[in-house]
Amino acid sequence: MNHSEVQNLLLLGGILFAIGLIGFLTRRSIILMFLSLETMLSGVSINLIAFSRFHQNYQGQILSVMVLTIAACEAAIALAMVVSLYRRKATLDVQAWDELSETILPKEPEGDYIGMEHLETYPKLSPAGLDPRDQPMPSSFQANPNQPTSELDHKTSPIVSEVNQRG
Amino acid sequence: MNPLSIDPKNLPLVNGEQFQGNLSQILLLVILLGTAAYLLLQHGLVKSKMMAWAGGGLFAFAALMAFMSIPMQLESVVRICFSILAVAGGVAFITAREPVHAALGFATAVLSACGVMFMQSAYFIAAATMIVYAGATIIIFLFVLMFAQKSNLQWYDVQLIRPVIAAGVATSLLFAIAWSVSEPGEILPIKLDLTRPYSLAAPGSAPGQALPPVPESTMSQAQLSEFVPAKTSGLGRSMFTDYLLAIELAGTVLLVATIGAIVLAQNPERDPS
Repeated sequence: MNHSEVQNLLLLGGILFAIGLIGFLTRRSIILMFLSLETMLSGVSINLIAFSRFHQNYQGQILSVMVLTIAACEAAIALAMVVSLYRRKATLDVQAWDELSETILPKEPEGDYIGMEHLETYPKLSPAGLDPRDQPMPSSFQANPNQPTSELDHKTSPIVSEVNQRG
Repeated sequence: MNPLSIDPKNLPLVNGEQFQGNLSQILLLVILLGTAAYLLLQHGLVKSKMMAWAGGGLFAFAALMAFMSIPMQLESVVRICFSILAVAGGVAFITAREPVHAALGFATAVLSACGVMFMQSAYFIAAATMIVYAGATIIIFLFVLMFAQKSNLQWYDVQLIRPVIAAGVATSLLFAIAWSVSEPGEILPIKLDLTRPYSLAAPGSAPGQALPPVPESTMSQAQLSEFVPAKTSGLGRSMFTDYLLAIELAGTVLLVATIGAIVLAQNPERDPS
């Protein structure tokens, strides 16, 4: 292993790293961006192994094992993230997630918050059903299967009339 | 014998050769690579076959210029072929329109890089890289592609983000790498880290035998200068003696990543029971 071999291997590693960098900066698909990252890591690995051979010890190879481990972890997490992101927006475009960078959020109001209105609202429900304090029960609400439904006089019920007045 | 008692001055230095290429060669290489990258990435991906052929020819010429200074032996020829294949796979990877084609180009690049590692007698690393990258990663990425990719080409597959700036950044980075590599005296000769005695040149121990205390003390200078770190047993011994804590931490990181991947990939809408 002489100098020129090391130089060529380092150049190869650099070229692979540059290719991965171009891919990572230009591609928009999340999956291809992660593949570009893996390309960069393989360039680094070639670099380490060239130095391991050149320096005649195992330290470069062990560092390369570390690179492999981290690459495997990164691939697992990245794929889980891709699946999770795709489930939300149904696209692999990385720029669909630009809003995570908080640049398009509206500006927070400055100053203190004292004196701001209490804007909390509660839902308003229209009254329904019968008031059990109304005794006796209106005749129209009594269960009478013999009475035809068309003869029900809703106006006689005080609750129904109250509801109609409120709109 | 104390392993720390090696005198580094007694060890032979592998230095002695200076860089053979000159600066103009590297400048030309970098300019060619940058031009090819710009051509390939101009206005999206490759549109005409003429432009693709021109870019590929430029890349091949640049690779030839890069590897011209090596004396031609069989090993060098095989390594050069692997290197050219790796670069070509990388170029195919970043210029392919279809994501599946890009993944295949990535597999080509990584397998060729594994071939280069194999030529450097890093057998275990080459095999593990093949298993992890080309085996597991590519297969899982293809599964995700099948899961998430629509059948037709999407606009985000074709459109690129600022290709000219990216090509410029990568070219300047490559120029810096080539410059610093070609600087004479930048690549240091053998350097001993004496706090890691088992990572040094080690001829491996016979089975059933205790670890040899310091392998260098039993090797002559000529043997030591010819030593190649090729044995997986030596790698394993170095890994589990000198770097035991780091390996344990790497295993912990793998475990945590597995748990995180399981948590992240869960469907929140489905009932957990």
